[in-house]
Amino acid sequence: MNRKRALISDTFNLKKRRKGSEKFGAGNDKDEPKDIKSTLEYLMTLFPRKLFNDTLPQVVLKHQLYSIHNDKTLVDKEVNKLRECGELLMFQLGFDSEAFGLVFTSDYKTKVLAGEEGKGTRTTVEKFLEKVLPSCTDLSFSKDKMLKVFLFTDSEITQLVKSGVLTVREAGSWWLSIPNSGKFTKYFIQGRKAVLGMVRKSKYGEVLQADLEERRTTSQVKFPLRYHVHDIVGAELVESIPTTSGTLLRFVDS
Amino acid sequence: MLGFLTARQSGLDDPLRMRRAESTRRVLSLTLDPDRDVDRIHGNGINTIDIEAVEGRYMLSGGADGVIVIYDLENYSGKLQYTCKAVCTVGRSSRHVHKFSVETVQWYPFDTGMFVSSSFDKTMKVWDTETLKPAEVFQFEGNVYSHHLSPIARKHSLVAVGTNNPKIQLCDLKSGSRIHVLQGHRAEVLSVRWSPRYEHILATASADSKVNVWDVRRASGSLFTLDQHNGEKSKASAEAVNTAHNGRVNGLCFTSDGLYLLTTGTDDRMRLWNSASGENTLVNYGKVCNESRKKLQFAVSRGCSPDFVFVPCGSSVAVYALHTGELVTMLRGHYNNVDCCEFHQDHQELYSGGKDSNILAWVPVLRTADVEDELGCEASVGPHGHTGHPS
Repeated sequence: MNRKRALISDTFNLKKRRKGSEKFGAGNDKDEPKDIKSTLEYLMTLFPRKLFNDTLPQVVLKHQLYSIHNDKTLVDKEVNKLRECGELLMFQLGFDSEAFGLVFTSDYKTKVLAGEEGKGTRTTVEKFLEKVLPSCTDLSFSKDKMLKVFLFTDSEITQLVKSGVLTVREAGSWWLSIPNSGKFTKYFIQGRKAVLGMVRKSKYGEVLQADLEERRTTSQVKFPLRYHVHDIVGAELVESIPTTSGTLLRFVDS
Repeated sequence: MLGFLTARQSGLDDPLRMRRAESTRRVLSLTLDPDRDVDRIHGNGINTIDIEAVEGRYMLSGGADGVIVIYDLENYSGKLQYTCKAVCTVGRSSRHVHKFSVETVQWYPFDTGMFVSSSFDKTMKVWDTETLKPAEVFQFEGNVYSHHLSPIARKHSLVAVGTNNPKIQLCDLKSGSRIHVLQGHRAEVLSVRWSPRYEHILATASADSKVNVWDVRRASGSLFTLDQHNGEKSKASAEAVNTAHNGRVNGLCFTSDGLYLLTTGTDDRMRLWNSASGENTLVNYGKVCNESRKKLQFAVSRGCSPDFVFVPCGSSVAVYALHTGELVTMLRGHYNNVDCCEFHQDHQELYSGGKDSNILAWVPVLRTADVEDELGCEASVGPHGHTGHPS
């Protein structure tokens, strides 16, 4: 939009930026990416595919984006845009009402179909992926919708639940879900607890991010440490404070 | 700033634009000024403060010990160092003082001759400021969490009262009657607020996670309930429920033009709603720590571009930009939890009160005087005034 006059808020850069504040000391070796999609792709690379024998598509949590980009509202808007044009899928992961998982649609389709090889439910799942996913960006489906709008029969719905594409939410309504994601949720919660414990047990309940990433993790933490760090910073379970020696993570008591 | 001045002078810009720019600059430089102080009268935490709308000179505060104090905020002493003195108090020795903690105080919106206070002793008292005696006492069956008088009402003089009871009572100041009741909530009503734009629109927040918007002229229920998912039932954890927050809703504040409504809840979230349609604008403020079991009093600035929200967050006050949701700064200074804050619209100052029984004044500090200028100032009183900056 071409403005004739500048906005008043442009005169005052709301975040008082001291010169070179981003190049603080030892930390911050990567510059801020402006694009949400490239951040998503970077976070996807942190996801451990080998751990699940390549059966799961790469999952990123929405609040991990908040740890990289400052403006949360902008991140939300961009994610919604990507969902509208069908490139991204959002799932309610179940352990937290605010934790949403993001998966690229193409990834999801390939993995689900690969998992359905040789199973009886394959045709129904294919039908679901082709009919429902492109047209509807909802996180959950009610029985009414499934029967009337998408014209699935009861037995087909049972097959979809059996294959893992739908999970029961209430009597008569289902969440969209990732098949075989139970292991992911289990390892994720375990790992998150362990990493938070590491921060909490440090002296004064705080640790430099660079130090934390160097530490050896227990067998509880199956994901790369960086994945968990983005998660706890984005979910505001720890406070991220810029210091002259890098970013400091301080445990937030709530 | 000089750019704005020349543009205004030559007529390129509207005069309002420069006023907005200067207000925004002042709000961005709010700090705890060592020269400004508020008299410490309360022995216990301060639950609520209110600045009168007419002149912005007098401030009321209600404390956890039932004491109500009136302060004079104007500085007529000519010196930089100024303590806002308490003009009068309704102390523990008064016969009419509230028995338990005062939860809400509000000046009568049209003059300072009257103010209304409500407390956990299940009463709401309408006081005469001159004699400091209650002109009217309304009795209720449960603790009164919040009350509000409409700041623009000409056709009615109703006070909306939120108590332990899920029904909202409307008390009429002219006749003393309280027959008008609004039904619709299922749990205690923690906060009530009239719209500053339409005198018949009332918003109420309750512990059952719902926020209802009412038109008091309408005989049947509320106009609408705020829904955080904007009708997208798919995101909610259950199909049927229409909630504004995932926990108790304990703070309500309209922006000064009445177009938007802010709500805070114990799910640590703050949401901005379009007050005409009830739509969630989905501005993401992040985690706004909220552990209050009673109502939370927070404030929105006026006349700045963009506007700011001041929310008490633990023992500091968080300042967020209204429409983008970014955290501008945290104002730290209190020793204990902050319970209430109020923005002085004309001077762009923020007053906050908390459990440490202090009211702190956050004043825009734009330029600090140099040591040499101060010495020069003492010698010549003349045209330099009191800022001591001869340039």
